[in-house]
Amino acid sequence: MPLINFAAREINYKIVYYGCGLCGKTTNLQYIHRKINPDARGKLVSIATEEERTLYFDFLPLTLGTVKGMQTRFHLYTVPGQSYYNASRKLVLQGVDGVIFVADSQITRLDENVESYLNLWDNLMGQGDDLTKLGFVIQMNKRDLSDIFSVEDLNELLNHTSSPVTESSAVTGEGVFETLKVVCKQVIAKTG
Amino acid sequence: MAKRKGLVINDRQLDRCDDLLQKLKEVSGSSFLALISTSGQPITTASDEYHPETLSLASLAASSFAATQQLAKILDESEFTLLFHEGKALNLHVSQVSDQVLLIVTFGRETQVGKVRLYTQRAIEVLRQIFEGPDDGTSPEMDADFESAAGTAMDDIFKDV
Repeated sequence: MPLINFAAREINYKIVYYGCGLCGKTTNLQYIHRKINPDARGKLVSIATEEERTLYFDFLPLTLGTVKGMQTRFHLYTVPGQSYYNASRKLVLQGVDGVIFVADSQITRLDENVESYLNLWDNLMGQGDDLTKLGFVIQMNKRDLSDIFSVEDLNELLNHTSSPVTESSAVTGEGVFETLKVVCKQVIAKTG
Repeated sequence: MAKRKGLVINDRQLDRCDDLLQKLKEVSGSSFLALISTSGQPITTASDEYHPETLSLASLAASSFAATQQLAKILDESEFTLLFHEGKALNLHVSQVSDQVLLIVTFGRETQVGKVRLYTQRAIEVLRQIFEGPDDGTSPEMDADFESAAGTAMDDIFKDV
């Protein structure tokens, strides 16, 4: 849920990048951190293992500036993708306003994508969120690789909510900001 | 379409919180206090000097606290209501105010943990009333043009570079 502080003229939204292990969630955040104007972002915090796999989450605060008198911020989080970290994923989802599901487009990763996608909806329903009021985007990542699903096939396999879809290559940055913009606009429209 | 309701803080609530945090800071001898949401967003702070890492601090403290709650559940404890880290020069105390609000207190060697806990507990009773009291309906509405203005701001900042 957004934090709307009328007294301090601030509004904060929470966006979570979700998806299976090694699908590119952290890479999205690292690209945003690297490329966005430093005045518009805070410190990138990563709680990772020694092998640089996400253990708990990555966190990056972004400031949109003052919009209609309100200091507007988006707090970006990733979850650990590996399946045995589900308890941590549930915690990161608490209070979420928008989710970017990062799908690994490679054909060999279909099972992991489906498992993570079902796990996302399980966890969201488990915390009693009204899912129609969440922002939700599917980012089809790794479009630069070979042996990948077509957008149409991946859409049919994963997108049961007919949510917006973007294509990306988080390593090169293609589509990273586009995806973020789509979900940010959704959460503002849904929460005011 | 019905808008999603979040944690909304009005002028009166924030004024009362700021006054209370300032008093708590003085009587407890603590160095930095922050009210944050359980989803990791700062609400207000009391400090002698600006704390540059408030956003990261809020995010990490809320996540640690949420993990602590889950540890309680696994251990069949109904709840752990506070989180305490003891350092060489600085201590961190995080406690629950309401379902949606946490209180962070940092303090050094110049005060005692018992003193901080005592006054923090008293302050939480008052803070709870501020956040859990009846809605007095004084929260203003968001500007009708906020959505389109935010969209324009995003186009400027999130453009690929």
